[in-house]
Amino acid sequence: MYKRLLDRLLRWTLGLDVWINRIYPPDFNPLYYTGGLSNLFLTILVLSGIFLFLYYVPSFNEAYTSIQYITGAPPFVANAVPYGQIIRGIHRYASDGFIIVILLHFFRNWFTERFRFSRDEPWISGMMLLLFSGFIGVTGYVLVWDQRSQLLVAMTGHTLAAIPVVGGAFQFLLFGGAGTTGLLLPRMLFLHVGPATALYVFLWWHYVRIRHPKVWPPAVWTLFSLGAVFLAAALIPAVSQALASTGAPPRFLAVDWFFLIPYVSLNYLTPAVLVLLAVVIVVYGLYIPYQLPETPAEMGIRDPGVAQVIDANCTGCELCYFDCPYNAIVMVPTPHPGVTKAAQARKLLAIVLESRCVECGICIGACPFEALELPGYLEQDIQEKVVAACRT
Amino acid sequence: MPDLTASAPRRPRVVGFLCDWAVSSEGLVREDGTMRDLPNVTLIKIPCSGFVRPSWLEFALRSGADGAFVCGCPLGDCFNRLGNNLIADRVVQMRRRLERQKFQPDRVATIFYGLHDGPEFVAAVRAFCERIAQLPAPPPAPARRPAAGAPAGAGGAEGAPREPQAGPAPGREEP
Repeated sequence: MYKRLLDRLLRWTLGLDVWINRIYPPDFNPLYYTGGLSNLFLTILVLSGIFLFLYYVPSFNEAYTSIQYITGAPPFVANAVPYGQIIRGIHRYASDGFIIVILLHFFRNWFTERFRFSRDEPWISGMMLLLFSGFIGVTGYVLVWDQRSQLLVAMTGHTLAAIPVVGGAFQFLLFGGAGTTGLLLPRMLFLHVGPATALYVFLWWHYVRIRHPKVWPPAVWTLFSLGAVFLAAALIPAVSQALASTGAPPRFLAVDWFFLIPYVSLNYLTPAVLVLLAVVIVVYGLYIPYQLPETPAEMGIRDPGVAQVIDANCTGCELCYFDCPYNAIVMVPTPHPGVTKAAQARKLLAIVLESRCVECGICIGACPFEALELPGYLEQDIQEKVVAACRT
Repeated sequence: MPDLTASAPRRPRVVGFLCDWAVSSEGLVREDGTMRDLPNVTLIKIPCSGFVRPSWLEFALRSGADGAFVCGCPLGDCFNRLGNNLIADRVVQMRRRLERQKFQPDRVATIFYGLHDGPEFVAAVRAFCERIAQLPAPPPAPARRPAAGAPAGAGGAEGAPREPQAGPAPGREEP
C-alpha cells in the first residue's frame, strides 16, 4: 500500500520534471538544484543576519527600538543605518525562500526514493536540518519583540506546559523561567544564532558521504533568487507589529505561513495533541528510510549487493575512487601485489566501505581492469545477455 | 520513415542498456527483452547507467551487434547523482578508442530520458537505428585480439582499408 503510494508519487514528481524540462533545458531545471538553492538562501541569511546582529540589542527595553532604528521607522532618521530596511527585508524573505526550497528538497528526495541503502545518513541529517531551520525561524520571530513575539512566547509556554513530566524543564531551558523573564531575549538570540551555526555542522554531515555535491544552483538561478529576494524586500517592507505590551498578550497573530503553521493549528488542536502530533511527525520522518520492507527478491536488479573488489585485478589506478558518488571507495597502501600483469606493480588497493555503498555499480563502469563486480549482477551475466541478444 | 525492420536490406541489430530508474519499460519491452516497436533492439536492464562498462558496448559490437547504446535518466537527475554524466563522458572517450579499433564511433550512443518519456525514447532509438543502418557495413574485427564472443567468421583481413566515416561528427547525442 505504502509502496504503491510511493510509486505513484514518484511518477507525479518525475511527471512534473517533464513539464519543467519543456520550459527549461534539464541543466537548469530548478527542481534538480533544490539542495543548492537551500545553501544559497542559507548563505544570504547568514550574511544579512550578521549585519542585523551588529545592531540588535537583546533586552526588553531596547530590542524593539533597535530594530526600528535599523529600519529607520518614524522616530528615527530614515537612513541612519544604510540599507537597513532592505537588509531586514532580505533576512525576512530569504528565510521564507529557505523553508520553501528545503521542503521541496525534502519531498523530492522522499518521493524519488533517494534514501535507499546507506543514503539514510543524508536523510537523517537532512531531517535535523529541517527541524533546526523551523526552530531558528520561530526564535527569529520572538527576537523582534513585538506583539506577535509575545503571543508566540505565551503559546509556546502553554504548549510546553502540556508535556507531562519535563514540560516545566523545557520551559525553563527555553525562556529562563516561567513567563517572560529578563533572560528571555538573550536566550532567544543565542537560540537563533547557535542553531544556525549548528546547521553547518549538520551540513557537513549531510555532505560528507557525497562526492562533488551540487552546493550551488546554476548562476541563472542564483541571480534569480537574489533578485526575487531583493525585489520582495523592496516592494513589501518587512515591518514589526506594535511593541509588545506589558499586559496580557494580544489575541491576534499576523501569520507567517512558512514558519508559524504549528501555532495556527493551536486554534484547532489542544496543546497536548499538537505536541503528540509533532513527535509523531518527527519520528515518522526519521523512520522514512527504513520503512520500505523490500526483500532483495522484490528489489530485483535494484539490489545487486555491495560492490566487491577483485584483489587479483586491482591496479590501484584510483578511477573508481574518483567516480564513486558516495565516497564509498578508499585507496589503501596495498599489502601485497596483485596477480595480473597490470596489477603486479600497484602501490594502492581499492577498498569498498560497505556502510557507504548504495549498490549503484558506478564503480564497475569506472574500472577498466575488471577489478570490481556487483555480486548480484556480474559482468559475465551482462555478457551472456549481450551474446544472447546478438544471436537472435 | 522507411520501415527498417521489414524492408531494409539488413536490419541493424542493436543492444541497449536501460537504467532501471530511467524510461519505464512497461509496455515497451517484450518478454525476451526486445522492444515492442523495434524488434531489432534488445534492452538489457541495469541498476544505473553508470554501471555500464564502455567495454561492454565494444563487446556488443564485437559479438555481432550493429550498434549499442546506454539510456539513463535526464542529465542532472541521476538517481545515483552522477551516473549519467559519468557514462556520457566515458562514452565520449570510448568513441576515440573505437576509431582506433576500426569501428565507426557512431555505433555507440548515450541517450537520456526519464520515467515518462517512453515515446520520445522510442523515437530516439528509432533515429539511432536509422543512422546505424546508413553506416557502411562493419569492418571485420581486428584479428590480433579476437574477443571471446566474437563470431567465428569475422577474422582475417587485418590490413583492410579503413571504412570512410559516415554520419555526423562524433559527439554525444542528447535529447
